[in-house]
Amino acid sequence: MTREISVTVNGTVHRKSVPVRLLLVDFIRDVLELTGTHQACTYEGVCGACTVQLNGEAVKSCMMLAVQADGQQVTTIEGLAKDGALHPLQKAFKEHHGLQCGFCTSGMIMNAEEFLRVNPRPTEEEIRHALIGNICRCTGYQGIVAAVSAAAEEMSAAGTPARSGS
Amino acid sequence: MTTVEKGWIGARYRRREDLRLLTGKGQYLADLRVVRDPLVVKFVRSSVAHAKISSIDVSAAAQLPGVVAVLTGADIRDKIRPLPTPSTVPLLPGHYPTHWPLAVDRVKFHGEPVVAVVATDKYTAEDAVELVRVEYEDLPLIMNPEKAMAPDSPLVHPDIGTNVMFNMVLTGGLTEAEQSANKARVDAIFANADVVIKDRFYGHRCGVTPMETRGAVASWDAEAGLRVWMSTQRPHIDRLVFSELFDIPQNQVQVSAPRDQGGAFGVKAPVYREPLMIVYLTKLLGRPVQWIETREEHLMAVSQERDQIHELELAADKQGQILGLRDRVIADNGDSCEGVFWGFIMPFYGAALVPNAYHIPDCDISITAVATNKSALSPARAFGSLPGRFALDRAIDMLARRIGKDAADVRRMNLITQLPCNIATGVHYDSGNFVAVWDKLVQEIDVPKFRKEQQVARAQGRYIGLGFGVAVHASGVASEALVPMEGQPGYGSATLKMDSSGTVTVFEGDAPQGQGHETTMAQIAAEILGLHPEDVTVRVGDTNNTPFASGTFGARGGSYTASAVAMAAKAIRDKIVKVVAHDNKLEADPAHFRFEAKSIWHKDRAEALTTIASICNRIIMKPLDLPPGADASLEHTAFFEAKEPMMAFSAHAAFVEADPSSGEFKILRYISSEDVGRVINPLIVEGQVRGGVVQGLSNAMFEEFIYDENGQQLTTSMENYMLASAADAPNIEILHADTPCEHTPLGTRGMGEGVPGPVPGALCNAICDALEPFGIEIRDLPVRPDRVWALLQAAKRRAAG
Repeated sequence: MTREISVTVNGTVHRKSVPVRLLLVDFIRDVLELTGTHQACTYEGVCGACTVQLNGEAVKSCMMLAVQADGQQVTTIEGLAKDGALHPLQKAFKEHHGLQCGFCTSGMIMNAEEFLRVNPRPTEEEIRHALIGNICRCTGYQGIVAAVSAAAEEMSAAGTPARSGS
Repeated sequence: MTTVEKGWIGARYRRREDLRLLTGKGQYLADLRVVRDPLVVKFVRSSVAHAKISSIDVSAAAQLPGVVAVLTGADIRDKIRPLPTPSTVPLLPGHYPTHWPLAVDRVKFHGEPVVAVVATDKYTAEDAVELVRVEYEDLPLIMNPEKAMAPDSPLVHPDIGTNVMFNMVLTGGLTEAEQSANKARVDAIFANADVVIKDRFYGHRCGVTPMETRGAVASWDAEAGLRVWMSTQRPHIDRLVFSELFDIPQNQVQVSAPRDQGGAFGVKAPVYREPLMIVYLTKLLGRPVQWIETREEHLMAVSQERDQIHELELAADKQGQILGLRDRVIADNGDSCEGVFWGFIMPFYGAALVPNAYHIPDCDISITAVATNKSALSPARAFGSLPGRFALDRAIDMLARRIGKDAADVRRMNLITQLPCNIATGVHYDSGNFVAVWDKLVQEIDVPKFRKEQQVARAQGRYIGLGFGVAVHASGVASEALVPMEGQPGYGSATLKMDSSGTVTVFEGDAPQGQGHETTMAQIAAEILGLHPEDVTVRVGDTNNTPFASGTFGARGGSYTASAVAMAAKAIRDKIVKVVAHDNKLEADPAHFRFEAKSIWHKDRAEALTTIASICNRIIMKPLDLPPGADASLEHTAFFEAKEPMMAFSAHAAFVEADPSSGEFKILRYISSEDVGRVINPLIVEGQVRGGVVQGLSNAMFEEFIYDENGQQLTTSMENYMLASAADAPNIEILHADTPCEHTPLGTRGMGEGVPGPVPGALCNAICDALEPFGIEIRDLPVRPDRVWALLQAAKRRAAG
């Protein structure tokens, strides 16, 4: 059984006919060929590698059907940098060695981006709790926490306004 | 762009890999679009732990639209050569159970592949898997390795006639007479010792679980040959095996590890069933075939390691000097069907490292690896050594308590001070300064000051504690050890090519999975050739364009591969010097020339002689009037061989606060002191340490593979197999106490492999130290509040009774 959907991904409207059972993560990766979003568990929704934003809210795309995104706005890691300019989170992750293999990174950043809009001046403990839904095996999280903290500082210093999901 | 005053080696140069990984442009296996419309393979896996296969009905599955083929073990038994084969089996005296990629006649663990379903897309393949009907006739379960050793135990492999897959005494010598004499000597030491600590320790079944699971894509064409892309640590070894198993000439097999891999930590090193099935299927069907492992498969079929019992004894004098050690190690090997490692190589190696950094010349150590109805042990970071580290470091704390001395002092007095040395099992420690690393740690934490704080806290009803763990860990294994043991070389290798514009490409046959080789190898080449790392591109993991390489595992990147890169860069440098000297009528002594800031300088000239770009152009594009012996080649392949294993050393300290009423504990502080030789990139070394410590903590506290009384695996998802999250991980402080390694051209060692090893010991020692007034000793992992609470209750009962 298929359905016509229209999903805006990173600002571009995509009209596709998809099986109703198609997961959003598979729509993003296999239909739209945006492979920056990863899948690391068997759809338990535990690992967080598939995290994208739906109307600006971090969601696990393996726990959603593509048809549920019909008429909605999705932002993936590919949509974070604006006109080639890296988001402060992306810059900070590089500066603070917040990634090694990179497999958890897209989901980690998409979650962190929403978090910083909601909590622009987080404590270390708040950052760690916000990232419970993103498992990393390589870094031990310390570089990630330092990166999120540094990005928060840069963003509040710059007076970056909260972005709505786009 | 990082500017560096002193050179690229040692710089905190931000990683080259990061830009693409941060913007979603990484190319992991599942992202590759290297073949058109691959067929998708899914496996039907055994739902029982030990059974004969009575029947398999694939008819409903085969008829599902979109299903192209459904194969069982019976379909492949006469078509695929089973393991073991020469390239997949070590030269050690053990048992290597015959096995095919799919179960033939019987299944031996819950999750063993039984049927391969091939379909046009993964949703159809999954549907078809559900339609396959397998009937089983249960066989007696073999779940306990000690029981499985009994002569009347049911057998996992009846054709082998025993469940003991490997058994060896590692001390005393190679002959029975030598071993008996050694045992007698050790017995005498124990009989005469002032103090004997004797206990049984258990390091539970857990592993590494990288975020990216396994996978393989294969295509076959009679003219082009076999082409395989797979998430692997050892593409050259995979190529060997595919060639051998499927009778395809090696030069018609190309294996590529993707440029990006989502971690491995050892689990992607063996030769497993599934990729072999993928290769067979592509040959059979004449179409490209893809398999991406699910997390559930990963947790059931691989990723299970540790799982060792250590019956460990220490003999010591009244001062705490250790005089002798006995350890009878029993490893739960699982079904043991795994190419190259067969489950037991890890516990074998771990048993060989039991003496750790302590001076214990008289040891009696044996290892027995026993088959059970579980998944075969697969390599995991710390490679078999974690339970032994835990056991000995716990025993040392017990010794300290027995003689009334501080555990820190007992450790220091027993650390090896003379290096190089051979430990009692014959493992060679090549260089380093363990005491310096240790002293740096204790200086930082000020043990006497802590003991005072501890007393004050106790008086206030707060229980804080300090625990230590140490580890000597290998970075790579030399050919001298690997050839007799595995029939494989261990050298590091790299090809460097400079082009006519003066930029460099490094070809490395290893296959990194997050270690940052594109950065570190570029730093090395850049420093030696006077360039910026941006001028160096590193290409990895493709057997077509890289020299034979052992793979990226065991921390050999920093010791072996890096050395080969340095050697190749130096060789090219020397070639350039010859031509520059000739062109400028100077003596061709490399020591007179400096490669810096993309130019070449001479000691006697104020101005640069030439830029590197122009000399490369001159040599390659205008090779006229070259000096005798020189040609237009600025390419070099180097092999770094070392007789020495280049051990690294870590000493860890954990501070905890424990609550005796609940057993809960909290890590207050965790510090690691490391010797990795000369550091190429401190950022990357620190990342390896932090990641390794948190893996060790996650192993110790949260992770556990559990099989129930029916052999059913209960931990087949991340909901049940819990991994540490950011909220669970402490900050890790790192101290460096580096002694350059004398055996590598740059003085480097590798770092990363052994880091989780000392962690459970440090943590549990800290908890026992905190709760010392209550008299508990932790002997078993995992360590959790409920278990600590149970120990507290048992201690209370003992005190009362």
